[in-house]
Amino acid sequence: MVRLKSLRWGCLAAVLLPPAAGYAVEPARIISLAPSATEAVFALGLGERLVGVSSYCDYPPEVEKIDRVGTFLTPNVELIVAKRPDVIVAVPSPGNRAPVESLRRLGLKVVVVDPQTVAEILESLLAIGRELEREQQAQALVAHIRQQMAAVAQRLAGAPERKVLMVVGHTPLIAVGGGTFQDELIRSARGVNLGAQAGGSWPHLNLEFVIAAGPEVIIDTTMGNEARAGAEAATAFWSQFRSLPAVRERRVYGYRAYQLLHPGPRLGEAFETVARFIHADRFDHEREGGAVAADPEP
Amino acid sequence: MTPAHLTLRRFVIVNALLVALLLATIVLAALLGSVHVDLARALQADLADNSDRVILFEARLPRVLLAAVVGGALASAGVALQGLLRNPLAEPHLIGISGGAALGAVIALIAGGRSAASEASLLPFGAALGALVSMAVIYRVALVHGRLQPYVLLLAGVVYNAFAGALIMCVNALADFYHAQGILFWLMGSLATQSYRLVAVIGLYTLVGAGWLLLQSRQLNVLALGEESALQLGVDVTRVRRSAFLAASLLVGAVVSVSGMIGFVGLIVPHVMRLLLGADHRLLLPAALLAGAIFLVWADTIARSALGAVEIPVGVVTALCGGPFFVYLLKREGKKAFG
Repeated sequence: MVRLKSLRWGCLAAVLLPPAAGYAVEPARIISLAPSATEAVFALGLGERLVGVSSYCDYPPEVEKIDRVGTFLTPNVELIVAKRPDVIVAVPSPGNRAPVESLRRLGLKVVVVDPQTVAEILESLLAIGRELEREQQAQALVAHIRQQMAAVAQRLAGAPERKVLMVVGHTPLIAVGGGTFQDELIRSARGVNLGAQAGGSWPHLNLEFVIAAGPEVIIDTTMGNEARAGAEAATAFWSQFRSLPAVRERRVYGYRAYQLLHPGPRLGEAFETVARFIHADRFDHEREGGAVAADPEP
Repeated sequence: MTPAHLTLRRFVIVNALLVALLLATIVLAALLGSVHVDLARALQADLADNSDRVILFEARLPRVLLAAVVGGALASAGVALQGLLRNPLAEPHLIGISGGAALGAVIALIAGGRSAASEASLLPFGAALGALVSMAVIYRVALVHGRLQPYVLLLAGVVYNAFAGALIMCVNALADFYHAQGILFWLMGSLATQSYRLVAVIGLYTLVGAGWLLLQSRQLNVLALGEESALQLGVDVTRVRRSAFLAASLLVGAVVSVSGMIGFVGLIVPHVMRLLLGADHRLLLPAALLAGAIFLVWADTIARSALGAVEIPVGVVTALCGGPFFVYLLKREGKKAFG
């Protein structure tokens, strides 16, 4: 209790005293509790200031050197407080409501972003930029992403719509449904998202439905620790169903899906990846030959 | 609790009726699903791009058959365990074998790093190994002065399950997000399969295990009278208990390794059949096997078609259908059977 009080006094002092030690003009010690937020902090050029990340944070590679302060689902309050962060960036997860509340009660500054759609992702990047005193960089980043997406959309002008199935697991068969930004990317890339027809954001699909729907492109982001394993699993699994157009026409893509699943600054690359899978013929170097394990070097 | 006099005629009539029901169930269930299959089209072998045929023979029928096999195995294991332990609450997932299998599967899932191999073969293998290990441990613990003690067996099983459950939670907490999801879904149980070979292998295990139990059915009847009476009647109690436990373990280990934890079948079907047919194991074992198969096929049919394109875990359906029906039967028949 004593410590709690002193913390409050410390915060009060921080507010009343001119910015000197501790909270300088801009936050010097940042903690991120979600992979997408970590990417955003790096994209804004503040990776050096990250003093803690969640154990799920895996990108960019420099993140390996940063201390872990719990998982995305269960951030560790004690570890976080011990790092004396100026600001914490968090994304709501099933398990982190209580820890985030505790951090706030302890007087720490927590910025919460919850990007679900493309518009919200761009908005969250701007919000993080504002909170971290990097507003201009954030605006430039968002403009760059918009440009990337526009360029891809231009390539796809007039392309035929293709039926797309994007899955994140085999047992059960969990697909990307409506209301997700991945669904938006598929639709923007002139694809018809079959998962959206089932209802729900991450529907557990029935195999019969998939066979009847006849996907022409399958994007399988069965997530492994190795891109190769993901691709192998995807090909092995789908090759059982020779009758699917996607299998027959060799448009099954196994992919290590971090940028397809993290609602962060690699949104533009994610859109291009999805577009290449759906309309390989519209891009310079065609990707033929079934499963492609691609994790393009950043 | 003396078994009613069993005539050959009754045995044949009851089982023939159930076999007919099971065959009708399999045919009907194969025709029902989230997607309408045009049977005439599905049976034409020479069509290119025949999605009706693929759905019926690659997605639906193997799954229906696996549900029948798993349901039969769980129900007959349930009968054996309730008789062996003389405890109406005994059911396949209670004796620790399932916990052991689940632990083995989870370790295989993590060790395999979610490669193609781990999902297809490593996981069932890990589960089978985990079931064997737990069986050996529980058996050793329950063997007191060279005799298998039912209460010790039951307690050892429950404790082993709790222990395995705690370890699974621990692995789950340490695993990455995607593995944790995978573990959770595996534990919920699923009968989705595209492999007739898998069905054949598990079917063989089930037949061997259930046949082995059937050979013991007369001794199980005597055992139900109590240990003292059984010994006076010259039944080798320890041997019967041991072989019934091994047979039940074989059944449970095999089905858990392919379908995860599907509850209620092994508890409810034996009791329902006991209420309907009496407690004679010679009739109860084959009848429960057939009824378990019928019940799980219907439960899985609901699970895969009730919500259209989206699936419900089959364990949810078995609990929702089984629970209320069981309570109703207890209310109606309980006094007669257990009072």
